[in-house]
Amino acid sequence: MSSTMHRSLRKGPLIGFSLFLPLFMTAQIDRSGPPAPGPAPTVQLGEHVTFTLKNGMRVIVVENHKLPMVSVQVRFDIPPIVQGDKAGMVDMVGELLAAGTERLSKAQIDEQVDQLGATLATTNDGVYASCLKKNLGALLPLVKDITTAPSFPEREFAKVMTRTRSGLQQRREDPDGIAEVVSRAVTFGRAHPYGEVTTERTLDNVAVKQMKGYYQLFFRPEKAYLVFVGDITEKEAKRLATDHFADWKPQRPATIKNEDGSEDMEGLGRVRLMPKVAVPSGTRRVFVVDRPGAAQSVIRVSFPLDLQPRDIRALPAQVMNTILGGGVFNARLMQNLREDKGWTYGAYASLDADRFNGHFHASVSVRTAVTDSAVQEIIQELKRMAREPVTREELELAKRFMAGSFGRSLEDPRTVARFALNTYLNGLEDDHYATYLQRLEAVTVEDVQAASQVFLHPDKAVILVVGDLEHFEEGLAEISLDRARPIMRLNEDGELWEEPITPVTDRKAEDVIAAYITAVGGREAIAKAAHARRTAIGTLRGQPLRHTEWFAPGRLYRAESVVNDIPSEELVYDGERAGRRGPNGQEELTDVDLLDLVFFAHPVPEADLDGRLDRMVLAGRTTVGERPAYKVLLMTQHGTTVADYFDVESGLLLQRVEEKFMAGRNLRVVTTFADHTAFAGLMLPKRIVRRGHPDGRLELTVETVELGRVPAAGFFDTGLPPVVEPTEFETDPDEWLNNMQPGGDDGSED
Amino acid sequence: MHGMRKLLTIPLAMMLATPTVAQTRAIAYTEFDLDNGLHVILHEDHSTPIVAIGVMYHVGSKNEDADRRGFAHFFEHLLFEGSANIDRGEFSRHVERAGGVLNANTTGDRTYYYEVLPSEQLELGLWLESERMLHAKVDQKGVDTQREVVKEERRQRYENQPYGSILIEVLKRAYSVHPYQWPTIGFMEDLNAASESDYKAFYKKYYVPNNAVLVVAGDIDQARTRELVGRYFAEIPRGADVEHPFIKEPPLKGEVRDVIYDRIQLPAVVTAYRIPAIGTKEFYAVDLLNRLLSNGNSSRLNMALKEEQQKAVYVGAFSLPFEHPGLAIHFAIANAGVDPRELERSMDAEIGRILREGVPKMEFEKLKAQLETEYVADNSRVAGVANNLATAYTLLGGTDQVNRELERYLALTPDDLQQAAETYFTPERRVVLHYLPISQKPQP
Repeated sequence: MSSTMHRSLRKGPLIGFSLFLPLFMTAQIDRSGPPAPGPAPTVQLGEHVTFTLKNGMRVIVVENHKLPMVSVQVRFDIPPIVQGDKAGMVDMVGELLAAGTERLSKAQIDEQVDQLGATLATTNDGVYASCLKKNLGALLPLVKDITTAPSFPEREFAKVMTRTRSGLQQRREDPDGIAEVVSRAVTFGRAHPYGEVTTERTLDNVAVKQMKGYYQLFFRPEKAYLVFVGDITEKEAKRLATDHFADWKPQRPATIKNEDGSEDMEGLGRVRLMPKVAVPSGTRRVFVVDRPGAAQSVIRVSFPLDLQPRDIRALPAQVMNTILGGGVFNARLMQNLREDKGWTYGAYASLDADRFNGHFHASVSVRTAVTDSAVQEIIQELKRMAREPVTREELELAKRFMAGSFGRSLEDPRTVARFALNTYLNGLEDDHYATYLQRLEAVTVEDVQAASQVFLHPDKAVILVVGDLEHFEEGLAEISLDRARPIMRLNEDGELWEEPITPVTDRKAEDVIAAYITAVGGREAIAKAAHARRTAIGTLRGQPLRHTEWFAPGRLYRAESVVNDIPSEELVYDGERAGRRGPNGQEELTDVDLLDLVFFAHPVPEADLDGRLDRMVLAGRTTVGERPAYKVLLMTQHGTTVADYFDVESGLLLQRVEEKFMAGRNLRVVTTFADHTAFAGLMLPKRIVRRGHPDGRLELTVETVELGRVPAAGFFDTGLPPVVEPTEFETDPDEWLNNMQPGGDDGSED
Repeated sequence: MHGMRKLLTIPLAMMLATPTVAQTRAIAYTEFDLDNGLHVILHEDHSTPIVAIGVMYHVGSKNEDADRRGFAHFFEHLLFEGSANIDRGEFSRHVERAGGVLNANTTGDRTYYYEVLPSEQLELGLWLESERMLHAKVDQKGVDTQREVVKEERRQRYENQPYGSILIEVLKRAYSVHPYQWPTIGFMEDLNAASESDYKAFYKKYYVPNNAVLVVAGDIDQARTRELVGRYFAEIPRGADVEHPFIKEPPLKGEVRDVIYDRIQLPAVVTAYRIPAIGTKEFYAVDLLNRLLSNGNSSRLNMALKEEQQKAVYVGAFSLPFEHPGLAIHFAIANAGVDPRELERSMDAEIGRILREGVPKMEFEKLKAQLETEYVADNSRVAGVANNLATAYTLLGGTDQVNRELERYLALTPDDLQQAAETYFTPERRVVLHYLPISQKPQP
């Protein structure tokens, strides 16, 4: 077996290889399986040195002379704060830091950085720069200036504000941007630093003085790390650090301590830290940002976690997350949603251990048609992780992959510095990274399952979908465990969605209805349709459907549906009671279902509202899809409200929305009407789509409408058994006695 | 959590590879050919115990038939499906189980596959790539699944992103004859039409050793690697010579203008100029002009449009590094309330300034300093070096270009830049697109 032979040879010292060359030349290779690896070299972690300047600034140096480059970072240890009505301020600190110093204008800074061929970036917690070694001497004074003497010029503030406002508009049209912001808002809550949302309203409250206050409070040498990496010696670093930063001793700003531990300071105002760690809570709930016509649905399934990097469970949790969906192609989410089903380009899970608040989220973009199925699969994969032990093979792959990633990351000398910085910031053990591979190797199948059970919360997950709601509304509602509000619709900023309505003063609801009746063909023509039969074909829950309806004066109504060529349902309303006969026998419709018929069992119900309507209100002008529409609220005598949307241009009915409590849930049933066509002299919709109903999505294309055919007697009999009066003394005993009289049991209530 | 502020996602920037370039310190390499025509490049670097294995096939979307647009990229997906010895799903499993990563990408001109592995797994990488080249295998489930995956890739990267259609809209107006007129991602209807005979023919024609270069970079012993490469790749039969026809695209018949209505709120302006092919002196000159316009905060479009006039929230200028004459694309997203016509005038004014005043010495030095730093960073990882070596060999006319490209940039003068601007940044060579919110679309 040649493979065994060369495997043993490769264990020899490299120097011996040339001797065996002829043997290799002639040996047949075994292609049937993967070749065995050679002896694994030891992963060298790389060294760093650290020292502290007299002002408390800690310096970290990683010496690596492979490339003639040096990077410099100043990083401040800053806790997340609640910005409240000033959300967006902290991000702007990062933008403004390099926008001018006491000595230099923004244009001068930009010019100098580019002249040096350097990169320089600022964030709300520090400065990062890198350049060729030969330019370090010129770059460092800039880094120092930006760090120790930023001027936050008003002129630059105005520019950043303009761009930030434009950026907000931009984000609201970017499905990924919306998902990122809104998912955090609903996962952590808008009052949590990680869930705050920047809007025009919060930007109105942001001012330079707050940024200066933030800077003075948090950019302090005793809270700073100065990190040098690359083509630099410890001695050089010490000299540069001392020369540029050792004398930086800014005054501590005056603050006033409050009873609750918070502080007030000039400029910044009340400094509120994160109130408490967000943890998985509540029940599984579904939020949707509706984007009609979206090419895909962007999905996030997430929950907050109380998991810090120094928690010993963080590593098994990461192994678990790798198996579920973290970075490897062979992760379960990727294999299931992409490689098995072909629903997406990529599906991922991420589990952030964070010293302030951890976070899990699964993310995927899928085609609209499989949106709810994809969410369902993610939930199932989360459950399976906790329910079943992972296979040994999965565990091995995840561990080998993570070990490999660790090794690869060390190719960049900045990794060593990052490890050192993480060790300080997160309070890790000194040997945290030195023992990483060893601890990784020790993770067992049981550890992974334990981590799944502690850190995965499918029943408390917060689901966000940014996509075309009408195509997955019913399916998503089923996934929600919140019965009261199965789907909460949000706007692009994560606030509860509100229909955009502009008031209308030049007409009343009655005018809109009258215009509608005229557009349909006029009262007379509609009256002729008192006896009517309408046939349609379409789909119910995706199954082929034939649907026939008969209308008669007095709201008599009969409907028959045939699903998959099998008669499935027969519904009859005799003007008083309604019965539905299906595969499971007959039932009487009551409550909401009955009220539906009382109101709508008419080809044009709005033309005959006598005695059924309490009042009608013109809510205003809005849009249905792209079309401007009047929204009219019809309040029935039974206390229900229906919203009808009429096309501003044609006057015809475009949409009907009913909010009602059905099947144990609050539902929003939306029926859209399109392709209005002349049927027997009336302009009636050819295309009808009903969504949000517990029966599932209904799509109909009307084929014929016939008028004037009067069905045979008994056609509208419900066939329901007569009403049997109560046999117990629930009401007045005298009445009960009366009912016992002969002739009193015919069930007629007339 | 309050990370570096990222105002906008610009898909255009992600789609464009920066041209491969040399570094101030030469990249050492050795190269040789196997008898079957496979070109092999080795680069030894023991700093980290990892190895990058890359194979670049000289085939991209410009080799596609006009009714199979997107096929080269689709085929790239299929080549992860397995081989005579590797079952569906096992290819990536072998790599990840060994602690490595793998991926591939396709452009108009070439397709690149790579693995980065712990160096003791070198042989695994060679086995995998030789299997891919010798006898790749795809079953129906693989074809059907990947077709859907590619459709989702298209939706995710081009259709569900604001401004995501820019490249597609530019290309179809900038070219009338050349296959560069369609995007690498292709079109759904063509992918649906692809059949088994297409896969077989494409594989046989282009996935042959004499149309490929293998690069092994990292913690390797060159003699042993050379030996292993022979063992795994020498038996792969040479294919017929691959012809790379040069399709001559006629000049534009004057400036092309159009308006695209997209799901955006901020209008954008795109100007795309026809420019020479990668590797020519003129390409480098145009590329430097693009850097002058948008590389760094003090660059011209940035200073003029974002800082001084405050008309734009984002500006960018890129060169499409095509093997045949390509495009320079200039792109600006308007600040809220700014008319795109006004934005276009400001962009044109910056071109006008170059034509009128040339490029001052000091600014020219700045470009050089930026290039120098960029090249060092660009070759700081073995995966990057492998890619750069493969690109130099495949598209730049020789591996040695990896160490020559910086010189070629630095040999340019301010006059060369001004001349390039005069020649190429002219209205009759360009496509101008205004992106407007769909709400502004006139009703028919």
